[in-house]
Amino acid sequence: MNTSRIPLTAPTEASLQDIGSADILVGIPSYNNADTVGHVVQAVSVGLAKHFPGYRAVLVNSDGGSSDETTAIVARTTIDSQHFFISDHQSIMHRIVTPYHGIPGKGSAFRTIFEIARRLKARACAVVDADLRSISPEWIELLLRPIMAEGYDYVAPYYLRHKYDGTITNSLAYPLTRALYGQRIRQPIGGEFGFSGELAAHYLDQHVWESEVARFGIDIWMTTEAIAGGARVCQSFLGAKIHNPKDPSADLSAMLVQVMGALFALMEQHEGLWSRQGESQPVPLFGFPYEVGIEPVHVNVERMVTHYRQGLADLEPIWRQILASDTISRLRDLQGTTGTDCRIPDELWVQVVYDAATAYHQRIMPRDHLLKALTPLYLGRTASFVQATQGLTSKEAEHKIESLCRTFEHMKPYLVERWRPPTLQPVTPALLHHTIVVAGGDHE
Amino acid sequence: MNEFIDQALLKPLQLLGHQLLTVLPNVLAMGIILLGGLFTAWASGFFVERLLRVIGFDHLCDRLGMNAALLRGGVKTDPSRLVGRGIYWTVTVLASIAALGALNLAPINQFAQSLLAYVPHLVTATVILLAGYFLSNFTSRAVLIAAVNAGLTPARLIATGSRWGIQVLAGAMALEQLGIAQHIVVVGFGITWGGIVLAGAIAFGLGATDLAKGFLERRLGGRPKTSAVDDLHHW
Repeated sequence: MNTSRIPLTAPTEASLQDIGSADILVGIPSYNNADTVGHVVQAVSVGLAKHFPGYRAVLVNSDGGSSDETTAIVARTTIDSQHFFISDHQSIMHRIVTPYHGIPGKGSAFRTIFEIARRLKARACAVVDADLRSISPEWIELLLRPIMAEGYDYVAPYYLRHKYDGTITNSLAYPLTRALYGQRIRQPIGGEFGFSGELAAHYLDQHVWESEVARFGIDIWMTTEAIAGGARVCQSFLGAKIHNPKDPSADLSAMLVQVMGALFALMEQHEGLWSRQGESQPVPLFGFPYEVGIEPVHVNVERMVTHYRQGLADLEPIWRQILASDTISRLRDLQGTTGTDCRIPDELWVQVVYDAATAYHQRIMPRDHLLKALTPLYLGRTASFVQATQGLTSKEAEHKIESLCRTFEHMKPYLVERWRPPTLQPVTPALLHHTIVVAGGDHE
Repeated sequence: MNEFIDQALLKPLQLLGHQLLTVLPNVLAMGIILLGGLFTAWASGFFVERLLRVIGFDHLCDRLGMNAALLRGGVKTDPSRLVGRGIYWTVTVLASIAALGALNLAPINQFAQSLLAYVPHLVTATVILLAGYFLSNFTSRAVLIAAVNAGLTPARLIATGSRWGIQVLAGAMALEQLGIAQHIVVVGFGITWGGIVLAGAIAFGLGATDLAKGFLERRLGGRPKTSAVDDLHHW
């Protein structure tokens, strides 16, 4: 176990000396979020005061060098207890505002939060994004209560989203994670999570902090590592997630590289686990699910199909190296279709993903090239999904996603066969203490 | 009569014999060096070829697209064999030069010296060509993928242009290293490259004024793309 300490700034060290220990820690990674971070800090403060009044709580803002007022707002934001019906009998909520060290990115911000949680021996932690507009105090309870009261180690968020919101999650991250690791976590790259102090220490001990995980692959890494480490996992219903739009210049292929790269790299790391994993199981869901009105999302299918067709015309020699010959010939068969009537069915999409994972594993070309070359295929698949779900409600579209997940699971032997397994590692969870998990039963 | 035989026949024969005896060790040495060199060439070629096969060099070349390039050039021999033969012939040539040097004859020595002095240039030129080849393949693939992802219609043309640009540059550098028509190569390359850049700039300036204007406005003015026609959230 790696017990070496992560360097913190002198003021942070001094704060830790003053605070000593804590029961709960809530982390907010930030970078130029002056518009929204005040609201997030208020929601966290009210949430802690209302739902965990007797606990020693710490709010940690891990900032990436914001040039706006972000850190100042975090430091000075207060709440008016009376307006929120908060009891006067409160433990003091401590506040730490600190820059993080290491490679710039959300992962490095989380690393500092994990280190502070370890130093303070926090029992339960949560992290929430600083750009949230829809966060409410209840989110804090929903992310922390399963850990404090129910003995869970990891709480994934469950949001209500438009059927075309989060297409990478719907067509790739969720179905693949579910098929590989057997846990139906609907938002594995959600952004808000709850986790035990023990799991935070486990995260710190992993040697990933100089890799891409330290940049942007942290969400899927945390979820997968929790499952692979044998943590007890659950979900909490948080309602709709509304946040500031991502940087409009953010490149889709760069996003795909982050998510697919992290998924495939984790597949290599946990090969022994997923290659033996059978059917998936539902994951407990806390909270009170309800319907909310979701803003419509406008989609230009024609543009996506055009992109896909260009990929098929220009990138075919590269795809031939990545994909199996059967997959390529099925993709070529689609070339005859006209207009936007170009649909990549579930089976073919699953085949593409599994072929790509295998090619990534076998390093048939520079991995960056491989992942970026899949962008037109992803757009083709997204266009297919949009066409297949036009006129359907988000709930009905969810059935289509469920069907895709079943196809991923059904075709898993194809992946195992193509992956060329060397020596399989034992499945024994490396991290946590839990023995057999029985619903409603005790656990260590 | 005896004196005549001594002067006219035996003396030259003695001289010839003496000269032969002087040269014979050198000839013998040449033969030994040549035979030893040929054996070393065969052995090193054979073992390198076997070693490359064992470590999967052919497979690696296949991944790098070299096998396809060789096939395109009409070479059906696999890369391990090619490297093995290359080593065989390199050692053979070096051994032959060393063997000729053993004769200790001034013109041959001079020839061997100049040939040996040329070898580093030859090696450098080969390295430049190989590096250029790999770099051009890598770059053209990266350019092709980026251009397709950016939705540029002439993606393949741009990628092919980048490949040939790098290969021509590598070729020019290799020729300069070999000392072949140095000035012509440098001037020719400069004119060609400058011409391409100028033609591209004129074509872009005249034919794509609106595109250039829009691009600069977006980059410098920070305005969002007007062609962003959907609000799909991929993440």
